[in-house]
Amino acid sequence: MKNCYEPIPMHINRIVVETTDSTLKSFELTFDHEEDCRKFFASYNPGQFSQLSIFGKGEAPFGIASAAWEGDFVRFTVQKLGKFTSAIHSMHVGDRIGMRGPLGNGFPIDEWLGMNILVIGGGCAFSTLYAMTKHMLHPSNRGNYAEITALYGTRNSGLCLYKPVIEEWHIRDDIVIHQAIDVQEENWNYHVGYVPAVLEELSPKPDNTVAVVCGPPVMTKFTLPILTKLGFPDERVYTSLEKRMKCGVGHCGRCNIGHKYVCKDGPVFTLSELHELPNEI
Amino acid sequence: MSIKWLSNQDYEKLLSGLIREYSLYAPCRSEKELGFRLVEEISQIAIEDSGNTRFPPKSLFFPQSEVLMKYNGILHSVEKEEKRKILFGVRPCDARAMKLLDHAFNDEKAPDEYWQSKRDSAIVISYACIAPGGTCFCTMVGGSPFGTVGSDAQFVKLEDGFVIRIYSEQAEKLFTDLPDAQKKMTQAANDLFDQVINGMPAMVEKQQVHDKLLSLFESDFWREISESCLGCGVCTFLCPTCFCFDIVDETLRKERVRNWDSCMFRIYSLEASGHNPRPTKSERTRQRVMHKYAYWVDQINEIGCTGCGRCVEFCPVNIDIREIVEKALHWEMIGGAK
Repeated sequence: MKNCYEPIPMHINRIVVETTDSTLKSFELTFDHEEDCRKFFASYNPGQFSQLSIFGKGEAPFGIASAAWEGDFVRFTVQKLGKFTSAIHSMHVGDRIGMRGPLGNGFPIDEWLGMNILVIGGGCAFSTLYAMTKHMLHPSNRGNYAEITALYGTRNSGLCLYKPVIEEWHIRDDIVIHQAIDVQEENWNYHVGYVPAVLEELSPKPDNTVAVVCGPPVMTKFTLPILTKLGFPDERVYTSLEKRMKCGVGHCGRCNIGHKYVCKDGPVFTLSELHELPNEI
Repeated sequence: MSIKWLSNQDYEKLLSGLIREYSLYAPCRSEKELGFRLVEEISQIAIEDSGNTRFPPKSLFFPQSEVLMKYNGILHSVEKEEKRKILFGVRPCDARAMKLLDHAFNDEKAPDEYWQSKRDSAIVISYACIAPGGTCFCTMVGGSPFGTVGSDAQFVKLEDGFVIRIYSEQAEKLFTDLPDAQKKMTQAANDLFDQVINGMPAMVEKQQVHDKLLSLFESDFWREISESCLGCGVCTFLCPTCFCFDIVDETLRKERVRNWDSCMFRIYSLEASGHNPRPTKSERTRQRVMHKYAYWVDQINEIGCTGCGRCVEFCPVNIDIREIVEKALHWEMIGGAK
């Protein structure tokens, strides 16, 4: 029996400073053992997360920001905020790190075949949406979905993640990307305003469309009602939740909302599932 | 299932045999408290003392602090114990609690091997309560003073000896040499049960309590009933069904450890961003009560409280979960939700 608390040994293979203020970095981790790599990708689904583990510092959960086809690595975009994330931010390429995952359910992308996909993200919570969108944009997957539209808001342009790829999305003809920042900047040619307001202005049609929302709680809180107003049925609105977690596998108790555990039953829930649960996000 | 008879004269012989072959844990009296300890001599066993142990026996499978792994250079797994355990004299509320905890730890996708390995190799022998205490309410939440959920065998004390009801093969092997209980003994045990159960509180309407608590989720009810709470967490630390834990790295010992945690603490759900979904004691008390009386019901259709009464007995400000449930059911009637 595999011990669910035992981290998979990994190394940091690449570090990308994502934002101009350096508070967000992406870490690409590679597996020490081929077998672990094989097992990971056999079950990985975009929208899942992992516990990163540094002995002596502890563990914390992070969404997976890479698509499987990108290569034999797993990307995590980490905001420097507390003790653990500060420890990761001070690490270098080649350093050892542990990972437990993939954990949680992920986005049910196989149920969305033939549908339009509306991706709505804010700030650093865009990471798993990025993984999902990348997965869908792969030539062997792109034909499974109709139109793919993304709305991505950040406080300012410097805080936008994955800039080179987002730039590329603006040029591609198989995805439409709308970017938004809170306040106008010089040479900014995209939207200005908060995500819910920009969404309302864009007024995407709900027909045959799945909306996937990930952002800071306040963005999610105001975006979900707009989708409802635009006519998106609750069962086609998906969001990914975050909670403080320790075990990541449904044992330690702290990430529950009602009788569901965000780590085990989530982190992805439909709006109709959330309506069934007590309001404790 | 067989029913055996153990006379008072043979009690010592049987128990000393078990103590020799197994690690036998039973309620023992110390200066401070009654608690489950490894028994070396029969005289230590205080099984007939009234009342339950201060701490529930869950700690034998889920210690308050447990090393998950050592990380001195490379990762070391933690060694498992050799000798099989017998838990003797477990009260039915605590035996049922361990069955409930199996549900919490035995997730199909990610079984908890620390819990499971200790649990698998242990035999639980319960001891029917013939004098339930003032804070006992097992019958209110679906249990019974003679309840056998979670028991491999159960001892019922009669005047001349014990009726032993056996529920598992591994327990059967412990008592093969004993005679079957005669009809009059099993009858006496049944009569005793009727006598004990008389006067115990009736079972609550599980679904009604569940629905009512959910309907009060955003009500002032929780502020009112948690007003006197100090947030000390004793209710959760002594609870036989509480299983929340924290994982921390002990850097000097180079160990990753899990420690009991409590939803009654502020930092329990505090996120790195500063956001806390349960910022005050109202939400935290709500979580404690609703986990047991609503969320467990959603998950396995059972109340996750076994009525052991420890949280009632040891709360420093006399918060009584029985009263909370009662009050919730009549909240509008008693002037709440103005």
